[in-house]
Amino acid sequence: MLAARVMRSARPARTTWFAVTVEADPSELSGPSRPDALARLAERHEVRVTRAPGGRGSEIAVRAADGRTREEVRALKQLLETGEVLVVEGQPEGHRTVLGRVARPAFRQLTRRGAR
Amino acid sequence: MRALCWTGVNEVSVEDVPEPRLLNRQDALVKVTASSVCGSDLHLLDGYVPAMLAGDVLGHEFVGEVVEVGPDVRERRPGERVTVCSIIGCGRCHYCREGLWSLCDNTNPNPGFQEKLNGHASAGIFGYSHAMGGFAGSHAEYVRVPYADVNAFPVPENVPDASAVFASDAVPTGWMGADLGQVGPGDVVAVWGCGGVGQMAALASLRMGADRVIAIDRFPERLDMAAALGADPLDYEHTDVLDALKELTGGRGPDVCIEAVGMECHGTGAQYAYDRAKQAVRLQTDRGLSLRQAIQACRKGGTVSVLGVYLGLVDKFPMGALMNKGLTLRSGQQHGQRYIPIILDRMSKGEIDASPLLTHPMSLEDGPKGYELFKEKLDGCVRAVFQPSRS
Ligand SMILES: NC(=O)c1ccc[n+]([C@@H]2O[C@H](COP(=O)([O-])OP(=O)(O)OC[C@H]3O[C@@H](n4cnc5c(N)ncnc54)[C@H](O)[C@@H]3O)[C@@H](O)[C@H]2O)c1
Ligand SMILES: [Zn+2]
Ligand SMILES: [Zn+2]
Repeated sequence: MLAARVMRSARPARTTWFAVTVEADPSELSGPSRPDALARLAERHEVRVTRAPGGRGSEIAVRAADGRTREEVRALKQLLETGEVLVVEGQPEGHRTVLGRVARPAFRQLTRRGAR
Repeated sequence: MRALCWTGVNEVSVEDVPEPRLLNRQDALVKVTASSVCGSDLHLLDGYVPAMLAGDVLGHEFVGEVVEVGPDVRERRPGERVTVCSIIGCGRCHYCREGLWSLCDNTNPNPGFQEKLNGHASAGIFGYSHAMGGFAGSHAEYVRVPYADVNAFPVPENVPDASAVFASDAVPTGWMGADLGQVGPGDVVAVWGCGGVGQMAALASLRMGADRVIAIDRFPERLDMAAALGADPLDYEHTDVLDALKELTGGRGPDVCIEAVGMECHGTGAQYAYDRAKQAVRLQTDRGLSLRQAIQACRKGGTVSVLGVYLGLVDKFPMGALMNKGLTLRSGQQHGQRYIPIILDRMSKGEIDASPLLTHPMSLEDGPKGYELFKEKLDGCVRAVFQPSRS
């Protein structure tokens, strides 16, 4: 009885892959045309590139992606699709409170990488 | 330069801030000539959007002049007068290519918040919190515009700022509301909310050939404005809306119900008190009265088009009505890039005039006053628009 309850409350296993879809043909993501950023990712992680259904480009999946890696994968997608990675640091801003300044790095990390 | 910043719940102030610079190769810098308040700002002001930091520059609905472009900008040139879409697209991802610009994959560098809350993140928006990208807003002398070629649209010379500024947000949003409902000849459309968005949804429905548009609000001046556009006003404080809509449509209900109120919906009676109480203690994030009413009123098999902004959870969502009446529910932040060229063209031909929305032209320094008038709906304010060059 107790065991059954514990079993039921256990969370189902989560996938260890983080995946994005990119408007690029799989052939552009392998072999000699493989982007440097993707090659660097592949040095640290298991990376899988597959054709997306419906002409939607490629699916890039990265195993065991931590916050930093997720940020890198998103940047890679943006670079491939738009040619650059958007910068939001260095924009106009008014007076930041002390609390705002102290909390900012953690806040930025959370909004940027997300809690998984 | 001077800019209007959010400084805390229901607090804004005009401050000296550094001027923006080009941060990406496809950026443009725009000298702002007019920047409007919007109902969406009220959700920020009221503190319902958690990802605001004191010092964030507000504003997303604006028109101005291009003063500088990055090396990879191909179409836009310094000197051009442009309306900039409030929601930022990249033009290249799957969603932008499909015309679903507010779902852009690439313009929100801070997707974490929304991914946790909603499963996926939507596009970046100017001056709309760090959850929507953390872009500095347009209530300033200058603003930086990413992917300028796809987000900035040249304004025909004969269209004044007073109309062009709303081609950035209120008009395309209203247009989308009618478009999502596939409004056409013979349709009866009901619009909840007669703010800038609702007014333009009513106008768009009429332009798309609707037989009749019923505009719902409680402020007489807003109802009068809708009537001047050609809609039939309905005051929800003095008339039972569901009853009246049935009577006005021979018992059928409106073919298309456009909700242009959003999460801070006002109301009367027990359900409103219940909504307020639950929202106050954050048991629900959004008040859903007008949304429930739109679903309840809609004719069998009709479409409910939701333009009002919702952030999280709405209580007592009438799933049974939606399901059993076979309704279609459509929604979204506006896909402005899809509509702005058509809108500016129609403005140029005199078929759309959004300038009546501009009830309060003001200097940037008067920003706090402008927000107070707009928030409290004082002095007949429909939209306060800041003109940085005005003193
Ligand atoms: N989807 C988008 O891309 C998009 C773009 C702009 C604005 N919006 C949203 O649209 C909504 C309206 O924006 P706005 O600028 O017109 O705001 P606004 O504050 O000027 O207008 C809202 C109107 O709704 C009325 N209202 C409140 N409760 C009502 C009820 N129960 N029934 C009928 N009317 C009611 C108010 O009296 C007011 O006139 C907001 O939620 C805003 O965030 C969405
Ligand atoms: Zn807006
Ligand atoms: Zn995009």
